Amino acid sequence: MNRVLLIARREYLAYARTVGFWLSLLAFPLFAVLGGGFSVLVRHAEPVRSIALIQEAGAGPAAGSLAAIVRESIAAEQARGDVSALRRAAIPEAGVAAGDRVRKVAEAEGYDAGLAALKTEAPHAGAGFKRPKQALRVVAAPPAIASAPAGPARDDVIRRYLTDKTPVEGAPLSGVVILSERGGEPAARLWLARASDARVEDAIRDALSDANRRAVFSAAGIDPQVVAATDAWRPDVSVFSPRSATGGEVSFRDRLPGAIGFAFGFLLWSLIITGASILLNSVMEEKANKILEVLLSSASATELLTGKVLGVAMLTLSVLVVWAVLGGVGLATGLPDMARDVASVLLSGGLLVYFLLYMIGGYLMYAVLFAAIGAFCETPRDAQTLMGPIMMVLVVPILVMQMALQNPDAPVVRILSWIPFFTPFLMSARVPSDPPMTEIIGTLFGMFATALLMVWLAGRAFRAGALSDVKLSWKAFARAIRGGGE
Amino acid sequence: MTAALTLEALSKRYGDFQAVRDLSFQVEQGTICGFLGPNGAGKTSTIRMILGLQSATSGQIDILGADDGRKVRDRIGFLPEERGLYKKMTPVDAIAFFGSLKGVPTGEGRRRAREMLDTQGLGESKSKKMKDLSKGMAQKVQLIASVVHRPEFVILDEPFSGLDPVNQQGLEAVIRGLAANGATVLFSTHVMQHAERLCDKVVLLARGRKAFEGTVTEARATSPRFLELEGVIDAEAVAKLPGVTGVEVAAEADGVRTLKAALGPRAGGQEALKAAFLGGLDVRRFDLREPSLHDAFIALTGDHPDTDQTATRAADAEAAR
Repeated sequence: MNRVLLIARREYLAYARTVGFWLSLLAFPLFAVLGGGFSVLVRHAEPVRSIALIQEAGAGPAAGSLAAIVRESIAAEQARGDVSALRRAAIPEAGVAAGDRVRKVAEAEGYDAGLAALKTEAPHAGAGFKRPKQALRVVAAPPAIASAPAGPARDDVIRRYLTDKTPVEGAPLSGVVILSERGGEPAARLWLARASDARVEDAIRDALSDANRRAVFSAAGIDPQVVAATDAWRPDVSVFSPRSATGGEVSFRDRLPGAIGFAFGFLLWSLIITGASILLNSVMEEKANKILEVLLSSASATELLTGKVLGVAMLTLSVLVVWAVLGGVGLATGLPDMARDVASVLLSGGLLVYFLLYMIGGYLMYAVLFAAIGAFCETPRDAQTLMGPIMMVLVVPILVMQMALQNPDAPVVRILSWIPFFTPFLMSARVPSDPPMTEIIGTLFGMFATALLMVWLAGRAFRAGALSDVKLSWKAFARAIRGGGE
Repeated sequence: MTAALTLEALSKRYGDFQAVRDLSFQVEQGTICGFLGPNGAGKTSTIRMILGLQSATSGQIDILGADDGRKVRDRIGFLPEERGLYKKMTPVDAIAFFGSLKGVPTGEGRRRAREMLDTQGLGESKSKKMKDLSKGMAQKVQLIASVVHRPEFVILDEPFSGLDPVNQQGLEAVIRGLAANGATVLFSTHVMQHAERLCDKVVLLARGRKAFEGTVTEARATSPRFLELEGVIDAEAVAKLPGVTGVEVAAEADGVRTLKAALGPRAGGQEALKAAFLGGLDVRRFDLREPSLHDAFIALTGDHPDTDQTATRAADAEAAR
């Protein structure tokens, strides 16, 4: 085995054999699952809040009982949640248009009809669909509260109910809402079991706004039903584009490339920075432990640098492969249709090849730079002098990538894509959205030319740094590059 | 005898700083050569040039028939002055890895590593991690790692530094063993006693220049023999004794002085002693001493080998770099 491969193998095994490596390898998918699972868990674990409504005598807008309106408003909010969930469930499998069709049916004919439509449009999603949990349940006010005289006496009864958690219709009350009218406008006093419970407060605010709207429109002679229908109306917009997969109507799949590009850009950024940092630490450890000089008597600086860069590249690639397999299996199991769309996007137009090229170029540029810096340092504090500005510059593509997600062809995104140090991340984000071929080739050329220049410059600095005791600074770094190790 | 290493007018300059100046010497095959000089004299710079880790500003190097150490790196073993190995590796893995870089198959490297560790009394530490070994043990492991590929030429930069006397003796035995097996050994040191015991030849370096090249005996011959006199005696009176060319007060306590009286080239010392007793000098102890390599170094260079020149020269070098 030649020296480069021997050094690469040692570098790879030195990390791959550590528990820390496997922990960090699995941490990302684990936390992704935990993060996603946790939010679902939180949503599902959230209890249904029981609230009782009490209407002060004499209160109520002209349109009818304020309590009835609040009850209706809460029910309507629940229905909107159902409709939205049905639409979202349909999109990954059947596309945006199908999602809108399901929404229309659900809005017009109710939840059951909407679920039936979902099962027709997206059978997989329909079969596994679970109705969103009801957030609020309006229960009848207990007689002790309803009959208590308004004022401190009733407040005492309410306070006792909330403190003792006395069950009402099978569950303790989360709140009691005392509806009233102040200055001709709907108002409410809320008694909550938990002072920090914003959910009930938000729902009541929305319901009172709704009641006020109805009252205002009613006073203006407009039928409340007309108002409700107007509020519920959603425009039916179909989007077409010659660049869609079908050449016509834009589907969910057509919107996937932007998201995939952003995900890849971010993934690439993380992997490159992680890989380059591993390399920096590895070289720094060898410098601190006085191993570099022995290594340099056994292999050339080029072999050493290449071997180390290759070893860490293999390490990074292993991480990527494990993540890709875990992600692929997870997606194929949980959302097979989305997995199919993601695969079709990745396999179309040589996207994977571009990603690979940007990864190689980006990794080369940063890995050799970090390795060269490491050759001058024995502690992370030594490295801070140069790493600080580099890390600040590296924040730029992260910010711009978010812009690219919305508009991959925005002038600022296009211009910054031409800066070789940003190219790997920004072009990865843009390339699924099919940018002009001249930009792809041009940026690739610029990136690889810069990567080669970096390899040359970093090689000189690495050789000089490995045998030097000089304190690291930009000046010393530049002098080392000029001197080429002398 | 064929030269394994020849340096001709080798110089190294870092900016305005001249680290090595017109250095020429030869090391014959199968011999042990001591490369002696204080810290900062230019030894490490020279070694790095020999290995091809740094290029010479001017001059020629011929090592094992090549004009660049990098071309024959598999035939050279090198132990640097500042030593270290991968802390999380075991000695066997570390030795096998460095052996593999020099062309020894990993399996064979591991076999040799185990064998050499056993020979060096490190058999029980074979599977420990390097970070768990004592400093002396770690240095032995590194020495083994530098010679596991059975090199023809071994360069050891300050190999004795940091070792206790027992381990120093062990290392001397290893160096003799390497030479006995046909390897050429060049080792640098600022401790003259090691060179005195080990070397077929020494090269003395001071302030980047060669001060001497030859055998230990030849080096000693450049320095005068001296009489060591102890008693209540006056340095001026001793200086007037026949054959004495110079006097130095080596020690003084309670009026009793120890004087080192350098003797001229043909002086035997007896005349001086006779004159001292006849002259009534209060000499309580006397000794006729042959010069050591340490004395020779001082005589040849005017520098003390234990004086660290690093502070002045190396700081200048780094500033120049």
